[in-house]
This record gives sequence, structure tokens and C-alpha cells, in this order.
Amino acid sequence: MKRVLANPLACWGLAITVLTLLLALFAPAIAPFDPDAIDVKKILLAPSSVHWMGTDGLGRDVFSRMLFGARISLMVGFVAVGIATIIGVFLGAISGYYRGWVDIFIMRLVDVMLSIPTFFLILAVIAFLTPSIWNIMIVIGLTSWMGVTRLVRAEFLSLREREFVLSARTLGAGDLRLIFWHLLPNSLTPIIVSTVLGIASAVLVESGLSFLGLGVQPPQASWGNILTDGKEYIQFAWWLSLFPGLAILFTVLGYNLLGEGLRDALDPRTTN
Amino acid sequence: MRLRYLLLLFVLTACSNKPAPDTQLQLDSTYPSQSGGAMIDAMIAEPSGLIPMVAAESASSAIASHIFNSLLRYDKNLELEGELAKSWDISKDQKTITFHFKPDLKWADGKPLTSADALFTWQLVTDEKTRTPYASDFKLVTKAEAPDPLTFRVTYAQPYAPALDSWAGLQIMPQHILKGQDINTTAFARNPIGSNYYRLGEWKNGESIVLSANPLSTQGVPKIDKLITRIIPDPAAQFLELMADNIDVMNLDPIQYSRIVPSRPELKQKIALYKELGNGYTYLGFNLKHAPFNDKRVRQAINYAIDKQELIDGVLLGLGEPIASPYKPGTRWVNPQLKPYPYDPEKAKQLLAEAGYKDHNSDGILVKDGKPLAFEILLNQNKQRATSAVLIQRRLKEVGIDIKIRQLEWASFLGRIKTSDFDAVILGWSLSLDPDQFSIWHSSQNHPGQFNFINYNNPQVDKLLEQGRLELDPDKRMKIYHEFSRLLLEDSPIVYLFEGYGLPAIHKRIRGIDNPAPPAGIGWNSQDWYIPEPLRRKEIVP
Amino acid sequence: MMQYVLKRVLWMGPLLVGISLISFLIMHLAPGDITTTEASFNPKTSQESIQKLRKLYHLDEPVLTQYGYWLKRMVKMDFGNSFASHQRPVFWQTKDAQGNITKGMIQQAMPITLMINVLSMALIFIVALPLGVISALTHHRAPDRGITIFVFIGFAMPGFWLALMLMYWLGVLHNLLPISGLHSLDADRMGVIAWCWDAGKHLLIPVFISALGGLAGISLFVKNGMLDVLHQDYITTARAKGLPENTVIYRHALRNAWLPLITLLGLSIPGLIGGSVIAESLFAIPGMGKLFYDAVLMRDFPVIMGILTIGSALTLLGNLLADIAYAWADPRVRRGVAG
Repeated sequence: MKRVLANPLACWGLAITVLTLLLALFAPAIAPFDPDAIDVKKILLAPSSVHWMGTDGLGRDVFSRMLFGARISLMVGFVAVGIATIIGVFLGAISGYYRGWVDIFIMRLVDVMLSIPTFFLILAVIAFLTPSIWNIMIVIGLTSWMGVTRLVRAEFLSLREREFVLSARTLGAGDLRLIFWHLLPNSLTPIIVSTVLGIASAVLVESGLSFLGLGVQPPQASWGNILTDGKEYIQFAWWLSLFPGLAILFTVLGYNLLGEGLRDALDPRTTN
Repeated sequence: MRLRYLLLLFVLTACSNKPAPDTQLQLDSTYPSQSGGAMIDAMIAEPSGLIPMVAAESASSAIASHIFNSLLRYDKNLELEGELAKSWDISKDQKTITFHFKPDLKWADGKPLTSADALFTWQLVTDEKTRTPYASDFKLVTKAEAPDPLTFRVTYAQPYAPALDSWAGLQIMPQHILKGQDINTTAFARNPIGSNYYRLGEWKNGESIVLSANPLSTQGVPKIDKLITRIIPDPAAQFLELMADNIDVMNLDPIQYSRIVPSRPELKQKIALYKELGNGYTYLGFNLKHAPFNDKRVRQAINYAIDKQELIDGVLLGLGEPIASPYKPGTRWVNPQLKPYPYDPEKAKQLLAEAGYKDHNSDGILVKDGKPLAFEILLNQNKQRATSAVLIQRRLKEVGIDIKIRQLEWASFLGRIKTSDFDAVILGWSLSLDPDQFSIWHSSQNHPGQFNFINYNNPQVDKLLEQGRLELDPDKRMKIYHEFSRLLLEDSPIVYLFEGYGLPAIHKRIRGIDNPAPPAGIGWNSQDWYIPEPLRRKEIVP
Repeated sequence: MMQYVLKRVLWMGPLLVGISLISFLIMHLAPGDITTTEASFNPKTSQESIQKLRKLYHLDEPVLTQYGYWLKRMVKMDFGNSFASHQRPVFWQTKDAQGNITKGMIQQAMPITLMINVLSMALIFIVALPLGVISALTHHRAPDRGITIFVFIGFAMPGFWLALMLMYWLGVLHNLLPISGLHSLDADRMGVIAWCWDAGKHLLIPVFISALGGLAGISLFVKNGMLDVLHQDYITTARAKGLPENTVIYRHALRNAWLPLITLLGLSIPGLIGGSVIAESLFAIPGMGKLFYDAVLMRDFPVIMGILTIGSALTLLGNLLADIAYAWADPRVRRGVAG
């Protein structure tokens, strides 16, 4: 941790991620207005001392919507990546540990998944399930586990030949004990790094889905759909797209910097 | 990287040779009508082909209507008049219609256009092998004949009032080219020969379609030489193109129309805004087979609880009208005595109480027989409809109804609609000019895939719809459809939300536009629009 | 080595069948088919005409039977015709009895997407390679940090937002660049040079946007590869031998850092034909992304399957080439230590 803090970029990343998390967490306390309160008499007001980020096409306060949108956007990021990580670690672990047919099968599955365009899968699943934010998270999760799988498998393949694993095995450790006690803890670094980076990607994916109208559905606010709502009026109601755009930009940047910082700090290469 | 980019910009600035900026164009002077020039507009989707009966989509008919003619058309006041036909008579028993062609009509390739082409087109549209959704109207014709080159006669088994409207919608195809070809796959769809004002110049796949004036046009030669349609899928990009003066015509949304353009002097100076009646209305429809919508009081309560003016103000920024019957305002089919349900939440609550709904646990949601009054509104990805849904959700919550909104992608949405798998739906009907709406409201039309998917069933309405189809006298028809509209409003199977205006923005270089727009919309006389020579784009050589 | 390649090639057949089967099933899981979307909401559409269409396209038969038909045609490399009303060939042009040529849908969309992606890939590599090397050499110092922040901002920027701002700024306010489309309307009358200049102006923003997002990945890859190499024994040895630092870096380090890049190139081959739906709709570019997206929305099954099949075949091929190239370039692998 100390080495993370020694890296100023990682510090900034950490600061941004913590700040956005806090804002999202305390959104109800901070938000000056009800994010869903419609007022057709206050449509598209420019930012002012009352409405810090102006109002949108239905007279809703953009600042309050941004705060509540942060909850949704970050939750999408966290849960989607959580799902991807769990699947990825599980498949990667058994693939790298058992090798043989299991490995071949899982790796070919990864190949298959990588060659089907993600958005096609997402569209099909969203069409089939109720398009709630839960399903969007599940879908993003289900379509982004392949990287983690490959990563964990590679780690396991190299770790399982190492001496401490071999000696643990000779001492009679079972498969499960070996996986959970010896292999997994030693592969944690890349997993954590890829998780942090994955959150950033998921936030971006959600905004892209919103552009296509497949993201978080109204009236629920997410940064992606606030930004998409504002795109038609980018020359006039600039506040509608500027704030969500910047929010996505800084959050994704923050998670990336943090992820890289972690990778750097935990990487044995850069010790000297 | 940044440096490289800036350098590139610099180079571009140095080399860009844009035509004279608009400030130098005398946009406010008057000019005499002149032929020539090119008008550019934009479209969201590319037509799949230019034979409308096969393509069956709005993009296709928008272009094809410049190329092909029908027997009849609607004039500026939406009354039928002859297009290829000079006149038409209806027999005493109202079963036979005879169209008399204008003399000396020619296809764009110089071949004569006669009643034989009309007969051929009828055979085409009713042919089993033709892939068209429009056959049903024409299959009612028991006998079609072309006794001489200027006469085309059709006979129906019984009087069919929407017949004339259907002939106004069928574009006549050239027999001498299409005979013996497979209409579904013919290359003619991408290289058509027609008879109307324009002929196809060039079609660049996915980019643009250029039409040029047809010197042999059956309707006279248009003033503007070229109509160029660019395909730009994103509306935001389209608007940028309009601002940059790269397109001349675009349909705006209410915010662009009433907020952006007026707030920008440089736009106001070069772009004229028009307003015309919209082509359809937006409604909230109930699945009448599902509780609680089988109870008329609940439907009426919801109608009272929705503030239509608020929807018009919030969704359309005031650029629309409330309606009380499913017809275009200002036409004869609208019953002038009908008024929309007023916004009256107290009345709504009272009706719901009468229907047996009470709030037992004071959570604000009404309950009957242990079931809360809650339902899901289904809609597709349409911004106006989504915004309406949010506003409706709030108003219905105020009278104790809990709404969930569910937005689906179009194909999935249609799948649910066509199998009546929904509680309530926000959707729009476009308004045909003929008052017949048999396929939407008649109780026989509620099978999967048919259009009475809300399962409306009122024997009185059924009878009126059947009568309306048999009656060709316009005044008697009017009475029938006025009564039909009254019953429909009373029953409230759908809540009419609003009818939005069409909001075309057109560059001021285009002249000769009728303002204010007649009922048929501003495009009705586009053949007479002109572009004065000094205002034409320099880079487009005719 | 040969055995390894052979094994991989043999694997491709069943994999392709697997991918196409999964795609086919997913496609049919989503509600609706061409008859729900086409002529979608016209009250004049008769039920009968819908049934006719379903029968014509075998949509009334079980999914697996339909897959069988498709597979049978695929064996003959016949991608079929679109379900859309124009019924154009999915893949390559056909000629009718009158000698009219109808171009294939993929045939028309592929070159456009390919051109944009090749340009943006080239831009990415040209910019990312030096950035990555500089970053590695100045690790944890100011240039490294500046570069890191820059490439991450490029990655984190929602592309369509930046695109719209650039379109407005450069296209509307300053009138420097065209806003959308591929060519000017009068492009046909231009000379070759003017035509290229015109096309270049149209492609500038789209290529820039798509390259910006990809910089981070490649430059970090290069940087980490370089860092890896710089800590290897032979570099330390070279340094210890007293070789000049430049020689060490360019002769020894950079050369070895190239290896993983070959893999990366191979892996990006399939990406070259996959267009971005968002960029293509925004810039009005009739490429593969828009083609695929529209086909999915319309449930135009032959087009969906055609694009997925070609895409996945290229993916598998790309993976294979990457592995072979890597094996060929890395002597350790060549000798069969790994693989």
C-alpha cells in the first residue's frame, strides 16, 4: 500500500475513486433535489446557484441526477466486474490446475466467446430478459470474463511447477487446499489489477450501451443515459453532456491510474 | 500526438476553400422563380429498394413518391384528385370504379404510359409470388380490366369505401420493363424508371441518392433540378450538418425548434422554421383482456388522471395538440363535439373508488381483493414516448396507481405487442387519410399478428366500422365515423396523449414554400419550390 | 511444430461449427423474426402475407432444422441472400439474367471498415510505440507520467461525446472538416489527388477517435514489455560489458520487446473487419458495424450469420497466426520448450 501511495498517479487515481464512491454512497444526503422530480416549467435551465449543473429536458436537477447516476454507473461497474471475476477465476483455476481436456475445453470456450461480438450477446440477452440494471450488469459480466480466465490460467500454469507448490503437494495437500491456499493467493495481484481496470471498462460499456438505447432505462439515471440524453443538444444545452462526459472521463481515468499504480507497486520487477 | 494534430489543423485551415459564407448571401431579398439548382436533405435509414409495394417502408416511399405516380392523389386540402387519372366515375351500385387516364402520358424512358400499366400493377400487387404487405385491399377487386389505353376499370364484389384511398396509395409500375421479371429481386428496385417529377440519377450505397428532374414528367417539370438525399443515421449529426449548411432540409425535434434555432442569430438568419400537422398520434393503450383494464371505470380514471397539456408542454414544448378522435385535426372526419378527457385527479380517484379500489395500508397504492393496482407500460426506444411514460408514471402515482416502465428494442417490442403480451403500451398510430380503421378496432382483428392487439371489442363499434366500409357517400360516411369516434372516446380503450406537429427546418435559399402549411403539409407543392441562382451552392454543378 | 500447427488448424473446423451453432441459437432466442420487423406496423399487412414469408424462409420449422439448412449451404460457401425486402446477396455479388450485377452487402461494407481500421491501427502503432518506449525509459519520471495520463484520458473519453464535440467545433464553428459521410457530393468529378484529399478530410475525425481509444492498450503493452526486457540478465550483462546505453536499448531491448507485439497484431486481425456501430452511425459511414447492428435489429438472420461466421473464422485464424509467428520468432518456443 505504501508503494501505491508513493506513486502520485496512483494517488490521484485513488483519490478520484474514493471521491466518486463517497459521492455515490451519500447521494441522498448531498443531492439538493429529488432526482426524479419533474417540473415542466423549468426545462433546460442553464447552471445557476440553485441548479449547479442546470436542468434537463424534463426540468429535473442534473446535479442530483448525476449523484444518483453515480450510484447506478458504479454499481454496474462493480457488480459486472464481480461476476466476470468470479467466473474468470473459477474457470481459469480449473483450467490451469487440471490442464488436459478440461483446459482444452475451457480455452476453446474462451475462443468462442471472444469471437462472438459482445453487443450481439447483450442485445439478445436484453431482448430476452427484463432490461433492468441487474440484467445489464449480468450481461456485461457474462461477456467479459475471458480475460481473467486466461490470466488466472497462465498464473496457475506457472505457479503449479514452483517449488512451494510441489512441496505442498508432496506433503499431501489436496486439490482444493492447493488451489485456495497456495495458488490463488499467489495469483491475486493480476486478478486485483484486472478487476480495477475492468470496472473502468464496464462504466464505459454502459455509456456505449446507452448510446444505442440499450443501457440503464429511464427514469433511472446513469451517467451513460444522461450523456446520451444530452448529445442532441451539445451546442445548446452543453451542461447536459459536459458533466456526465467529464464524470465518466475522470472516473474511468481514476480507476485506470489506480489499476496501473497497483500493478506497478505489486510488480516484483520494479522493486529496485 | 497533440502537436501533430494541431499541425494538421493548421494545414487544413490554410488550404480550406469553402464557398462564400452565408453572410454574403442576400437571403432576405426577393427573387423571381427560376429553374435549376440542387436541394439536399437527409434521411435516417437507407431505403431497401425503390419499389414501394415490395420495400414497404417509409424511407422507400419517401424517395419513390418523387419517381412514380398513382392514379389518384390527395390535394393540399387532403381531398382526392386525379394524378395519372384525369377523372373517375363510380357506378350506381357503387361496386365499379372507372378511371379515365390523362392523354399522352410517358414513362421517363419515352415509352407510353397507359391503362395497361395500371392493370399490370394490379396483377403484380395481387400476385401470390409478390412479397408485399399491401395485397389485401386489392384482392377485393373481383375484376380489373383495361378496355382501351385510357380506361381502367375495377369491380368489387360489394361496395368498398376505402377503395379510392387504396388506389391513391398504389404506385403504377412500367409493364414494358418489369414484365416477366421477379419483382422481389429485380435490379429495377435499385434502378427504377418512373413517370413523376424526378428520375433516379445516382445511388451511392449507404451514402446518398440523387434524383434529377424528369423532362418527360407526367405532372410537369419541377423547378429544382436535383434532389439529393444523404443518409445520416444519427439525428445529432444531421442537425450539425444543417447548422454547417451542408443540408437544406431537416425535421427538427421540439427542443431544436423552439430553443436552439431561435437562440442563435446565425441560424435564424439562414434557416426558416415551419410547422405542419403531424402524421400520427401517440397513445397509451390497454390490454383489455387483462384486469384491471377490463373495467371501463379504471380506464376512464386513468384518462382523467393524465394531464395531456403537461405532456404536450413537457414532451413537445407545446408543439402539439390534444386530440379526442383518431383523425387528423382539421379534416372532416374529426367529430367537433368531442373534447379530450380533462385533467381531473379527483374524478379519477372517485372512479377508482367506485371500481372497488382502496388504499388499505396507506402506502399510497390502491388495492382491490388483496391485489395492488399496478401495471407495466411497454414501449420501444423512442425518446418522446419514454419521456411521456415518466410523466404518466408520476401522475398515476398521485391517484394511487403504481407504474413500471419497460423499454424494449423494436423487434422484441413488436414480438410482445403482436402476441398481446403486455399490460399497457405507449405507441403511435399514423393517420391514414381514409377514415376506415377496421383493422385497428374491429373485434375480429385481434388474432396474433393483427392490429387490434389491445383486444377492443364493442359490437356497436364493429357495426359502424362495417357500415363505414360499404358507404361511399362522404357525408353519410362522416356521420358514421363521428359516431364511431364518440363511442371510442367514451369507452377509453386507449388514452389519446397528443398529436405532435411536424417541424421542418428549411434553408432560406429554398423559395416558393407555402406558409402557413396547408393540411397536406408544406411538401405538397415541392415541385414549385425554387432556388434563386445567386443562392445556389457553388460546389454542386447541376 | 508442424504437428502443433496442424492440430490447431484441425481444431478450427469444430470450433467454427460450435460458434455458428451458438450464434444461431442465441439469434433465435431473441423474440421476433424478419416477419415481425418487416412492414412492421402497417395495418394493411395481412396475416396471410406474413405466413407466406415465414414459410419461404423456413422460419416455421424447428431451429435445429433451420441450422441444418444453413450449414448445408455453408458447406458450399453459399452465404445466401438477405431476408430484407431487397434480398441482396449477403457476401458477394451475383449477376441476374439481364446481366445486372447486384453487389453483396459484406462486399460493399468490408472495404470501408477495413480502410478505417487499418488507418487507425497504423496511427495507433506509430504513436503508441514511441510513447511506450519513452515511458519505459523514463519510468516513474515526468515524461512517463505525462504519457500515462494522456493515453488513459484517450481511453477514458466516451468516444461519441468527443466525436460530437469535434464535429461541432471543427465542422460547424470553424468549417474546417466535413461532419459526416465518406465523400463530398461532388467527389465524382474530382481528380485523384483531390478525391483522396477529400476522403482524407472525411476520415480524419473518425480515425482519430478510434485511434485515441486504442493508444492506452498498445503503449502500455510496449512499456511493460520493455520494462520486462530491461530487467533481464542479458541486458544487465550488456550494460556490464560497457556497451553504450543506446546500443543496449535499441539493439537488444527493443528487439525483444517486439515479440509480444507480433501476438498483438495477430489478435487484432479480426478487429480490422469489425466496425464500431456507434462511430459508424454518428459519422454516417456504411461499414460493417452498422450493417451488423441493423441486421440484428431487423432479425435479418442470413446477414447476422454471414458476418459472425466470417468474423469468427478470422478471429481463429488471427489467433493461430499470432501463435505461429510468436513461435517462429521466439527461439525458445521454436525448440519446443513451450507450446
